[in-house]
Amino acid sequence: MILRKYSSFIITLAIFAVLLLIGLLRPTMWQPVALIMFYIAMGQAFNIFLGMTGYVNFGYVAFLAIGSYGMALGISRFYHTGIGLWLIPLGFTLAALMAGLLSVLVGGIALRLRGAYFAIATIGVNEGLKYLIEGAKFWGGSEGIIISKPMRVTFGRHLANSLSTFWADIFLFAIAVLAAYLTFRFMHSRVGYALTAVREDEDAAKVMGVNATKYKLIAFIVSSCVAGLIGATTWCLKSTYVFPEDVFEVSYTVEAIVIVMLGGSGTLLGPIIGGLIYGICKYWLAVLLPGLQLLILAPLIIVIIVAFPGGIVGVIREKTRGTAFDQVIV
Amino acid sequence: MSLLKLEGVTKRFGGLVAVDHVDLVVEHGELLGIVGPNGSGKTTLYNLISGVYRCDEGKIFFEEQEITSLPPYTRAHIGIGRSFQIPRPFGSATVRENVAIGAMFGRMIGKVGEREALEMADHYLSLLGLYDKRHKVSNSLTPVEKKLMEIARALAMKPKLLLMDEAMAGMNPKDIDGMVALIKKIGEQEKIAIVSMVEHVMRALVNFAERVMVMHQGKKLVDAPTQKALNDPRVIEVYLGRPTLEGRDAEGN
Repeated sequence: MILRKYSSFIITLAIFAVLLLIGLLRPTMWQPVALIMFYIAMGQAFNIFLGMTGYVNFGYVAFLAIGSYGMALGISRFYHTGIGLWLIPLGFTLAALMAGLLSVLVGGIALRLRGAYFAIATIGVNEGLKYLIEGAKFWGGSEGIIISKPMRVTFGRHLANSLSTFWADIFLFAIAVLAAYLTFRFMHSRVGYALTAVREDEDAAKVMGVNATKYKLIAFIVSSCVAGLIGATTWCLKSTYVFPEDVFEVSYTVEAIVIVMLGGSGTLLGPIIGGLIYGICKYWLAVLLPGLQLLILAPLIIVIIVAFPGGIVGVIREKTRGTAFDQVIV
Repeated sequence: MSLLKLEGVTKRFGGLVAVDHVDLVVEHGELLGIVGPNGSGKTTLYNLISGVYRCDEGKIFFEEQEITSLPPYTRAHIGIGRSFQIPRPFGSATVRENVAIGAMFGRMIGKVGEREALEMADHYLSLLGLYDKRHKVSNSLTPVEKKLMEIARALAMKPKLLLMDEAMAGMNPKDIDGMVALIKKIGEQEKIAIVSMVEHVMRALVNFAERVMVMHQGKKLVDAPTQKALNDPRVIEVYLGRPTLEGRDAEGN
């Protein structure tokens, strides 16, 4: 019984372990594995909010972006204090805090709106923040923040190099595990029950005593903080620079939506399967048919979404409902 | 100390006055019926008491405390439970989870963990005869089963006041008698004041309510013990029309 409850979490960890092993044993596979993990983690963080509440956050990429700025600011502003490797945890803390603060600001206002109105209210967050940084010229303005020099100075050339080429991806694995754990905890706690009620019928949920705005805000903040951590490692530590034009790129939000819808929203395994398929397709299509990858990927996604409206995991769950397998793949 | 007190409660939708200066007192443990034809403002009154709508005028007190501007979830926490006329199950959740949500977030919020909530759900589901269906997805229930689940969910909230909205509609007379007896028994055991709203199923009302409030065009028409209220000429007129008027029409005026 216990094993069944944790089965989906164990499957998740197994998938991550296999990906990590492939990357470690075949050095040429490290970058593709990191790319796939980025899509998985991004889908997971997005799913914490979309999957649990049914609300679409169109400003999602802004939270990854603000996280990347958190790490960049942590390293570029504090490297001369001589705290050495503590810069990394400091950067992650700043990333989570800044993403969390932004989510409280955005969520505190926008989550009072329902459904599509919420989605519309969040569209502006991403562009607004980008033009604010570029226009007001803080945090380096449109020139961004380059952290390769502070990293070389603090950690030395060798360590700085391995931080961005190896450890940044290891951190990404750790964040993906954290995201899976949080999703799992949420699904089996009162927050999960509350959000199920809100997703199904918000008015009825309120009459049953569920403070809808509060629980939506909890999911929103957690989703945003995890997004901030992902941005901090992949878009800052790995690339060693942050440019507003690169990080406030709205297509990532669309990719996150595709991944979650493809795999099945509101399930633990959904974004992982979705990220896996999307990442593999995108990478191999770019290798096999360079320049044509989106032309092929787009109809493929349309076909999958039409064939599996609940996502791949959602459809499998529907087909196996009532059998022992049902509990395994939640 | 009265449980619920409405003072001049009014709700307008544009030019329509859906609830028009209604006063009402409900005592602890009382069984009250609310009757009225379609559109008489019963459901709007429920929405005002449970907090789905805000009053345009008037005040609502619950155990002497004013709750006029409290949000619906806070009202649930202090002991107002409700079932809906058209069942509103949390469709993708199982029957058991639906009822557990009521237990977890109702009056026992913060005092009941998930496991206890699920046990409470099992208890109320077995009372209402849905125990065997507890692992079914709530969307797959029949309409009558959904109504029973709603009542179980509202009861699991451990309310002091339970608002039931047409809970017996669509059941056959034998089931209605059984349900009325069951709900009366649970209400007595747990000291719940139950307000039941009825449009047509008078059978349920006569067996159930000690007192009846009749509503007509948003106003309170009669508030009296059940038999007296239902025999009141004004009530008969609301339901069946005015005999004198028809007489006059027949004469050709």
